[in-house]
Amino acid sequence: MTPFLFFAKLLLAVPVAITLALTAIWYIWESDNVILYDSFAQRMFSGIESYGLLAIPLFMLTGELMNEGGMTRRLINAARVFVGGFRGGLAYINLLANMFMAAIIGSAAAQIAVMSRAMVPAMEEEGYDRGFAAATTAAGGLLAPVIPPSMLFVIYGVLAQIPIGNMFLAGIVPGLILSACFALVIALIGLRRQFPKGDWMAAREAGSALLYALPALLIPAAIIGGILGGVASPTESAAVASVVAFLLGWIVYRELKPARLFDMFRRTALNASLIIFMIAAANVFGWVIIYEALPQRLAELITTITQNPFVFLLIVNIVLLFVGMLIDGIAAIILVTPILLPIAIDSYGISPYQFGVVISLNLVLGLLTPPVGVGLYIASAMSETPTSRILRALWPFLVAVAGVLILLSYFPVLSTVLID
Amino acid sequence: MLKRISAIWARGELALAALLAVGVTLLILLNVVTRTAGAAIYWVDEAAIYTMVWMTFLGASAAIASQQQVAITALTDVLPDGLRRVAAKLVDVAVFVFACAMIWFCWRWYMPLAIAEAGFDARAFQGATFNFIYAEPTSTIGIRKWIIWLVMPLFSLGVFIHALAHLLDVSPPAAHAKGAVT
Repeated sequence: MTPFLFFAKLLLAVPVAITLALTAIWYIWESDNVILYDSFAQRMFSGIESYGLLAIPLFMLTGELMNEGGMTRRLINAARVFVGGFRGGLAYINLLANMFMAAIIGSAAAQIAVMSRAMVPAMEEEGYDRGFAAATTAAGGLLAPVIPPSMLFVIYGVLAQIPIGNMFLAGIVPGLILSACFALVIALIGLRRQFPKGDWMAAREAGSALLYALPALLIPAAIIGGILGGVASPTESAAVASVVAFLLGWIVYRELKPARLFDMFRRTALNASLIIFMIAAANVFGWVIIYEALPQRLAELITTITQNPFVFLLIVNIVLLFVGMLIDGIAAIILVTPILLPIAIDSYGISPYQFGVVISLNLVLGLLTPPVGVGLYIASAMSETPTSRILRALWPFLVAVAGVLILLSYFPVLSTVLID
Repeated sequence: MLKRISAIWARGELALAALLAVGVTLLILLNVVTRTAGAAIYWVDEAAIYTMVWMTFLGASAAIASQQQVAITALTDVLPDGLRRVAAKLVDVAVFVFACAMIWFCWRWYMPLAIAEAGFDARAFQGATFNFIYAEPTSTIGIRKWIIWLVMPLFSLGVFIHALAHLLDVSPPAAHAKGAVT
């Protein structure tokens, strides 16, 4: 009865967090453990008593401040300096700017929203197909959860009980590989379609573009540098980044109005609480997983199919692709990590970092695939392009992501190389 | 009437959650500054975590009022109008059941009647009930944990008000706001 109720509620669009809690409540009743009700609320509370989770509101705040502070435009201009002169220059600018943004924003949906508005009209003006412009932007958004900081990695790190700083390090090489593959896709399409040729900036112009962007580039430098150097925890670097973003937007770029600050905090509080509340509910749902020994039972089943970690990861990838199509990435990672991670570690000896990178990238791919492709819909709405037109141009990027997923599954070292 | 109470309550929750978000930011910054200065304050981490937990539950309740919770709408989006309204009502029922259960759990946890019976004497209360909620300390802040835990009954009450308001609301549903958080 419990699994039936669980899926019925999910499909009925009962909020994911409420579904988890209600399923746990029902399960406790059915299995006659009502003594657990006495500590139900306490367990929800203790599920999110975690220092790592503090990074979530702080990274969200940094993103809000950046959007309002006029930093996006400066970062795009800086990207123009480096890759603007190539054939298809604007497409590469889009990609490079997305990399910069990914190093500041931790959320793909947020990044796709910002970048679609900024890049798609500019690309169309220079003669690119609008579908391709939106597809490039949407694909670039996939870098956000892989290149640190990443909201998904914070959540995964808390669930897996591994240091979030290390999880961030694990994403750097895969993020660069993914960027390189996207660049390759753009190059190949550019050869066939004869993209407009870009212009290199005059030295003087380039200098000023870099100068203006330099303070904005301080933010990713502070975040990644602080974590890499071990001087600051991800939570602390997020707090520092939000102050830098505020001061830049307010004093240097003069586009941020302090009067709007409280609005930003309100949005931050709401969006962060949506995510953290799901984690609280997942903690009571953990009772169901533990008492039913779901990981062990599933492990018995899967280990009869294969003993090979790579094959296991391929199976996980295929299953999660479907999960990601239906369920929002963060909700999905909260649901599947407690079940799959013990199997990956205990039965196959897979590094939790490799596993985290693979399932995060996989689930975030669901942002761009219908029927529940929030990222796709955002790109479509922001750029006023029909989703079908974006999808037609998007598939080469999706193939590239699938290739990277296989690569990451086969070579654990790609994820673990930076972690000592 | 209930709808208005729910709306006002939600606005209060959200405003408080926003203030707490400010609090989280300031506390972590305080931590960074004092640690760099070599004089870290020991209670800041714990305070920041509790501030975030309070922010979370208040914000989550407000999001139930505005129906912004993350949900899987793949199926309900393609339903015809009539069925979709039925589905939406069933969701309201589910949230309401959750709210009632939470209130009941908090009641069993805090045992307000039993503590009153014991004359608000935690020791006598524990002897009678074996419930140690009122004895649990926080690690570094120096107040009892039950005060911090009060956010759970507050949250349960908020969800109850919002869920009841939705449940009794028979006007046609507005377009469902979709959560996009990933």
